Amino acid sequence: MTEVIGVPRPRIDAPEKVTGATRYAADGWVHGLLHARLVLSTEAHALIRAIDVEAARAVPGVVAVLTAADLPTATDASDRTAEPLAREEVVFAGQPIAIVVAETEAAAEDGAELVAVELEPLDVVVDVEAAMAPGAPLARRPSEGAGGDLESIHAGVDHGEEDEPAEPLSANVLGRVRRSAGDVAAAFAASAAVVEGTFRTPWVYQAYLEPQTATAWQEPNGTLVVSTSTQGSFVTRSELARAFGLPEDRIRVVAEPLGGAFGGKFALIEPLAAGAALALGRPVRLALTRTEDFLSMNPVSAQVTHLRIGALEDGTLTGLEARMIVDRGANAGWGLEGITSSLVAGPYRWQAHDVVGYGVLTNRFTFGAYRGPGAPAAAFALETLLDELAAALGLDPIELRLRNAVVEGDVAISGTPYATIGAVEVLERIREHPLWAARHELPEGEGVGIAVGHWPGGNEPAAAVCRVDKDGTMTIVTSAVDMSGVSTGFAAIAAATFGLEPEKVRVVLADTASGPYAGASGGSKVTYTVGTAVLRAAAAAREKLLAAASEELEIAPDDLEVVDGVVRAVGAPDRSLTVAEIASKALRFGGRYEPIEGHGGSAQTSGAPSVAAHLAHVRVDRETGEVVVLRHVVAQDVGRALNPALVEGQMRGGVAQGVGWALYEELAHDEHGRLLTTSFMEYAIPNAERVPEIETLIVEVPAPDGPFGAKGIGEAPVVGAPAAIVNAVAAATGARLRELPMTPARVWSALHEQTR
Amino acid sequence: MPERIQLVVNGEPRTLEVEPRTLLVHALRDGLGLTGAHVGCDTSQCGACTVLVEGRAVKSCTLLALQAEGAEVTTIEGLAPAGELHPVQQAFVEHHGLQCGFCTPGMILTTLDLLSRDPDPDEAAIRHALRGNLCRCTGYQPIVESVRAAAEALS
Repeated sequence: MTEVIGVPRPRIDAPEKVTGATRYAADGWVHGLLHARLVLSTEAHALIRAIDVEAARAVPGVVAVLTAADLPTATDASDRTAEPLAREEVVFAGQPIAIVVAETEAAAEDGAELVAVELEPLDVVVDVEAAMAPGAPLARRPSEGAGGDLESIHAGVDHGEEDEPAEPLSANVLGRVRRSAGDVAAAFAASAAVVEGTFRTPWVYQAYLEPQTATAWQEPNGTLVVSTSTQGSFVTRSELARAFGLPEDRIRVVAEPLGGAFGGKFALIEPLAAGAALALGRPVRLALTRTEDFLSMNPVSAQVTHLRIGALEDGTLTGLEARMIVDRGANAGWGLEGITSSLVAGPYRWQAHDVVGYGVLTNRFTFGAYRGPGAPAAAFALETLLDELAAALGLDPIELRLRNAVVEGDVAISGTPYATIGAVEVLERIREHPLWAARHELPEGEGVGIAVGHWPGGNEPAAAVCRVDKDGTMTIVTSAVDMSGVSTGFAAIAAATFGLEPEKVRVVLADTASGPYAGASGGSKVTYTVGTAVLRAAAAAREKLLAAASEELEIAPDDLEVVDGVVRAVGAPDRSLTVAEIASKALRFGGRYEPIEGHGGSAQTSGAPSVAAHLAHVRVDRETGEVVVLRHVVAQDVGRALNPALVEGQMRGGVAQGVGWALYEELAHDEHGRLLTTSFMEYAIPNAERVPEIETLIVEVPAPDGPFGAKGIGEAPVVGAPAAIVNAVAAATGARLRELPMTPARVWSALHEQTR
Repeated sequence: MPERIQLVVNGEPRTLEVEPRTLLVHALRDGLGLTGAHVGCDTSQCGACTVLVEGRAVKSCTLLALQAEGAEVTTIEGLAPAGELHPVQQAFVEHHGLQCGFCTPGMILTTLDLLSRDPDPDEAAIRHALRGNLCRCTGYQPIVESVRAAAEALS
């Protein structure tokens, strides 16, 4: 019997991808296609006084120049989906103001350069802490403009209670979340050690290699078709229906193969392309340039975290007190303050806590999600202070964490009891690693740091279809977007459930007109939710198979087994039929058996949190302040590794992004709110020489309700990686950095202050 | 004014009409439908558009189509006959050297360039050769392993 679960196999889409055959969103051919280029705001906060489009319209090849008034939008809401082009008020530099549509990309670009926008500057809000103070200028004029359904897709955490502020705050503070229990002051008073600090993380860009791209057209019957690089087809359909006042069944969203997304591809690009296509009645493609993507899309929020924690002599954690400020940019609808104020507690038990999160408007971007949104910043603060607490108490840092690590049934500060979680297991695994034992024997300037990161996972109902053809091959149909290799996991789940070789399973990712429902890909929920639906669909198809085989072989279904595509009697394998033979008897004129098909659904309600522990080994150059990560070890609880090669791929990819957080990545604005980092020249993501060898330790603590015990694993590996590198720098130099990224200048300054 | 150029793409002589400012990557994608060369940035940082020009890896966004007049160009589509894989492609499949796949054609063509100059590169040489090809998914290690495996397969 072919072993399927737990066996490394190549991705099923690998042959297409290595031959250039995969059609990404910018690659498909559409008859009569027009190309679009955006005109972006040069001011961070302004009123639009006039837009002169005449010179642009005169460019040969330009078909139209569209402004907000030209788009058939249907609501007054002021979120990015509902207001794809700024109507009156511009709230960040880079906000789209007009779309130039032309026969070629080059003509569109020529036209865009000639659109003259007259802006009346308003006060610009760039400093998130100053923005909170009473009397601060407002980042956007007050409106009722919330809207959209994009918050709930990212994580299965609640969003705390709306807090009555104890301090006077400006109207820029749109979100206030408070989580508290017990007497924190008393907990600190009873502590043997209390440490605190203020931690800053910048705006960070998802840096998917494929810039955001969408193509939209109307079919002759009026259906709006949108072919796009998105993480969620159904959520995009709903968002477009809301934006343009269309019934959902008049919209078909086709999620093309994704060239990376990491949380950033949600309903920003589609309203622009669809609005232009609806306005013009012709197909329009908007494939962003990298600079347009940097300027106009949705990186993740900058955060400021004031954190204070304490512990008893024996290392038992006592109080957790946090004040977390999340820079929403100009996003009025929702913020990450709910998620990050929950995750700052880490996977640890606390006697008392008082955590307040603020979501504050500024004139920087509109924020979006990026792999574990709100989590790396929270872990940076907490895991740094845990090391300081361990030092103050004279305890081993891993021992301190182990003493407080949550187990199933412990209640998170969100109030939700933890489901099965391998926090203890990953810490024990990382403690056994020789690098930890060798940490005191390293050369001068080197150090090893430890940190933990976790992610709660997420849930959303989903369905899947399983179909078996006459040739004995299987097709799995879902509407999930494959962001991380989930299709290959679906094939393994279906093959193992049904009794087929995985090579005989193909996976079709359907569009919103033809596929069963699936939520967006994000929040580490696809394998846990859609994967469970796939398992049930394959099981339902297997019942059909056994019913037909039972009649043919005259053996009760319970006495049959399916092995590698053959149905046979248990204990008498000679009495058998192949899956192909049975399917052929069903799929024919006058056939007597139902097609070998199944439909499966899932509505997971249990959580499946994932947790990872990291060891980072760094070398710091005291003369230049440069930090090099020499080696990284990550141990993650993955539930069950359906395909270990893909699991390791997620772990390594997460760590590599963590290296970017720790050392390189920062979106910077000038004092007028204009972005300074508008390309990969100014914004450096780690290249092959900057990412070390990453050793992966797969820890399997099965999720009771996951398919074969699997859980979502995409987000957890990034969360603790930056903190581990921060703690390694401290181990190497004694300097504790409170701001990311740890650029040479910041490290050098920290070392310089230390020795002065 | 469009100008006519002739070049040899994946072994076949091709004639194209391009504007003087048209970049080679756009000529390949829009003119010949060779969409395996991807556009990932505007500044020649990412390497997703890498092709071979006269056997050397070139970011096809750094070259005007006119500059490729008469040149022999190999794109990812031309590495192996339909239905077959070049040993470097095979190595990337087997060693999990890709996730989203957007950087993959560029990685593979840069690997071919490397192995043509250095058939037995060590890890540092591989990482150095790939430093101009960005990947956001894999953490590079499986790509490095794929290149090592390809070197061994070709030796």
